[in-house]
Amino acid sequence: MRGSRKPAIVATAVAAALTIAACSSSSSSSTSSTSASSSSGSSAKVTLTWWNNGNTQPLLGVWQSVVAAFHAAHPNVTISMNPIQSDLFTTKMPIALKSDNPPDIFQQWGGGQEATQYTSGKLANLSSLASGWISELGEAAAGWQVNGEQYGIPYDQHVVGFWYRKDLFAKAGITSPPTTIAQLESDDAKLKAAGITPISLGGGSRWPDAFYWEYFAVRECSESVLQSAIKAVNMSAPCFTQATKDLTAFMATNPFQGGFNATQAQTGAGSSAGLLANGKAAMELQGDWETSVVPALTSDKNIISQLGWFPFPQVPGGAGAPTAVLAGGDGFSCTTGASEPACAEFLQYIDSTPVQEELVQKAGVGLPANSAAESVLTNPALQAAAKAHDTAAYQAEYFDIAFPTDQGQALDTALANFFAGKGSNETIINSVSSSSGH
Amino acid sequence: MSAATARLPRRPPRRDVIRDRRTWLSLPASYLVILLVLAITIAPMLYMIVGGFSTTAQLNANPNALPHPWVWSNYAAIATSSIFWQAVANSVVVAVVATGLAVTLGSMAAFALSRYTFRGREVFYLLFVAGLLFPLNTAALPLFLLLQQIGLNDNLFGVALPEAAFALPVTIVILRPFMRAIPGELEDAAIVDGASRIRFFLRILLPLSRPALITVGILAFVTSWNAYLLPLVVFSSQDHYTLPLAVANFQSTYTQDTARVYAFTAVSMIPALAIFIFAQRKLVGGLVGAIRG
Amino acid sequence: MARTQSAPVAGRETESPRPATAGARPPKTRRGLRKRVELTALLAPAIVLFIGFVIVPMVFAAWYSLYNWSGFGPLNDFIGVQNYTGVLTGPVFHQALLHNVIIAVLSLVIQLPISIGLALLLNRRVRGRTFLRLAVFAPFVLSEATAAVMWYELLQPGGPLDALLKAVGLGGLVHYWLASTSLVLYSVFVVATWKYIGFGIVLLLAGLQGIPPELREAAAIDGATPWQVTRAITLPLLGPTIRIWIFLSVIGSLQLFDLVWIMTLGGPANASSTMLTYQYTNGVQRTQFGYGATVSVVLFFISLIFALAYQRYALRRDTAGALTRAVL
Repeated sequence: MRGSRKPAIVATAVAAALTIAACSSSSSSSTSSTSASSSSGSSAKVTLTWWNNGNTQPLLGVWQSVVAAFHAAHPNVTISMNPIQSDLFTTKMPIALKSDNPPDIFQQWGGGQEATQYTSGKLANLSSLASGWISELGEAAAGWQVNGEQYGIPYDQHVVGFWYRKDLFAKAGITSPPTTIAQLESDDAKLKAAGITPISLGGGSRWPDAFYWEYFAVRECSESVLQSAIKAVNMSAPCFTQATKDLTAFMATNPFQGGFNATQAQTGAGSSAGLLANGKAAMELQGDWETSVVPALTSDKNIISQLGWFPFPQVPGGAGAPTAVLAGGDGFSCTTGASEPACAEFLQYIDSTPVQEELVQKAGVGLPANSAAESVLTNPALQAAAKAHDTAAYQAEYFDIAFPTDQGQALDTALANFFAGKGSNETIINSVSSSSGH
Repeated sequence: MSAATARLPRRPPRRDVIRDRRTWLSLPASYLVILLVLAITIAPMLYMIVGGFSTTAQLNANPNALPHPWVWSNYAAIATSSIFWQAVANSVVVAVVATGLAVTLGSMAAFALSRYTFRGREVFYLLFVAGLLFPLNTAALPLFLLLQQIGLNDNLFGVALPEAAFALPVTIVILRPFMRAIPGELEDAAIVDGASRIRFFLRILLPLSRPALITVGILAFVTSWNAYLLPLVVFSSQDHYTLPLAVANFQSTYTQDTARVYAFTAVSMIPALAIFIFAQRKLVGGLVGAIRG
Repeated sequence: MARTQSAPVAGRETESPRPATAGARPPKTRRGLRKRVELTALLAPAIVLFIGFVIVPMVFAAWYSLYNWSGFGPLNDFIGVQNYTGVLTGPVFHQALLHNVIIAVLSLVIQLPISIGLALLLNRRVRGRTFLRLAVFAPFVLSEATAAVMWYELLQPGGPLDALLKAVGLGGLVHYWLASTSLVLYSVFVVATWKYIGFGIVLLLAGLQGIPPELREAAAIDGATPWQVTRAITLPLLGPTIRIWIFLSVIGSLQLFDLVWIMTLGGPANASSTMLTYQYTNGVQRTQFGYGATVSVVLFFISLIFALAYQRYALRRDTAGALTRAVL
């Protein structure tokens, strides 16, 4: 006997189950935001969910004390903090922004990435809520704007430059850091003669490769050409090709460690930061976070005092301003809804001088977004980096953040391939032209 | 282990030594090969376990050396960490629910697909097989939205139920041939005695299938224990994290506490390995039916 | 074999057992109704759970592939098959697909003989056999992510593996295991072998248990050499197991991701890319969700074609398997 009606029975059961599921209202999770007052600082109770990347000490502890202090000052606002490891945001943010209750405050790296997230319609426009105090942050705030409106607020700044080991420089007979590429190359030769790897590079992580090419582009391209290229997502200007030529010539001098294409930037024994920390390489082109990374990678307790910093050297004949730097930062965005005023107040609190000082001193986040807090920097290398950052003619955001995420990632990949010997100037320039990865 | 073996004529058991003498690799050479395999398999894991007794700084400065000094703080910190024990509890709940559901529903479905004839049976079977072929990561976003709709977000069951669903294909595929191999005569006898087929299923077939059920149970448990993407997508609060997610706590934006990661992973493996040791004999027996059925 | 999910599929269909017919026959309709009720009760829960949590998301994910969509905002840029053209004609995808195929072939050519050999060895009554089986199975229990992190550390230039090679005098074999574009794919394959060979051996051991020792002994008595016994009796009877192993291995090779991603990110320069690392790089990281979904659908169909073709081939062989019939 054929059960010819059985599939129909099953189908009905399935349809019924799905209908029931679809009709049930979504329950509120334990971290949903509740209604808030219409004006900031009023008496209605507000709970904000906060997704930040401070999942380990010391940053974790600093954020926790910030939450407690803010709550003491604003008893009607409770902040529920949820630290998430940095890399996981790539997976979680698109999903969160599609959900019914995304976090009220979340980690934001600005630039084109922010612009991509902006299309979700869930980012809150903070221009008017922050208008009273955003000028304290100076130029830094521009990196977190979309179409001139403030959709995110930075809490720290980063600048990229060369970290070097003073002891290894001394060993190779280098008396002062190089200021031009030619000097850098001759210093590399001296280091090699002394049996030292000149520069460590985390090619396996892709983005450290990008720093080199992007700095050559910043040196070769004038500010206006650079900015219009970023805006138009088009790198056909000749200065970019020149940057590739500079990079090729530089790479021909073999300044990096063997097998750099698989070396990761910061994890583990053989990372590029680890090589620098353990004296197996003399220099690394990295952001100011290097001082937070390096201590964990070596048993040398004095490693921080051994490190010096110098800006990316000059390139002869380049149209870029000599003091321009490659920069970035970390910040937060608010999501639209009743929590916006409280969110903006919280971000203002984070950018206030005392909190900024705490972030710099205790958490070692790098350079503060609020330059008034820079006075607490004690490390001379970091002070040098901060000075270069502040006195720069302009700050160029790292390209993979400045471009929309799609094109920025394509550029990183093209550059990493180029470093691995599989690419050309065309692949680099054209990487930002197509929209999906072919 | 299958009932079919019982029907072979009993012969006096041969002495093992005959078999051993007549294989093409002598006994000492066999031991050598096995030791080599053991070394290759175990050495990396030993490296990890021993690395947990080191500090990250040491591991980075000298990755090839033994810990000097041996540090207990990593393992101690894990044993006293409430996050770790919470994650263990979460992992256990999720894995037990997922495994229980998968084995229960899977055995019922396998019974239907193996011992009933009906139109569309092979279509249903193929439907389950198709679930194996689609990578999970793309389905993560729609799955998340679905879970949100039914209110299972940031909820242990929001992970356990989909895990059970994804374990169904494997379960059914292993159980079906094994259930088929149970002779029809047993079923006939049961029917004659007045039992329904469902009764036969519960009282006779399932007990006979116990090795296979344990097999699929182990597989489902280990898969759930190590699952990473689904919990990552579903859980937003740390106190719901399962063990693979909790490892991420040892990695910050820029650095990784490698020694802690090793120690944590070494300890995380213990429950899953314990389950395997406990059930490994039945594991071997269970798969026999799948092959011969 | 390289796998990301455990997925054994029975490669053979046998006749269904005879339905109970002994005794008086009740009226046809009542029996039929009862059967339908039973079937529904047995199948429906699994079907509902499966369709709800697996099929429905799969269908939605496939639906995204028809859109140009970043994952943020609404689905409003319908582009039809444009994503598919992009994926199927792109040389980078072809390279990734080729890598998957290479790994699948390597697992058949290298892992299978090793697994069979080790299974035969571990089938012997050697002391500590249980512990050995546990040791061989243990890497399978380790999570993919941690296995990858561990091996990444082991394969560093100057790392533990290089140190070991130098210590035993094989220093000449030291290479850039993960940095060399010509070696990295094979390094990944070795790590995958380490991780999954245990499961294959356990599977084959199970198959070996099902071969009655009397057969081998009878052949031996008749004067066959051990190798002849293996070739003529053991291996053919192991056939069904081997065919399941092959199926699992190929599907797993096609879906290889976690291990590769954490060790190499599919690099350097796509030298170790797989279809799913390609999907992650171009779909997830570049916020091209629709494109990423396309890769999944393409991968699904490639797997499906293989699965269907393989079922048909294996089916025919196993239903006609005179050897197994004779034994049973």
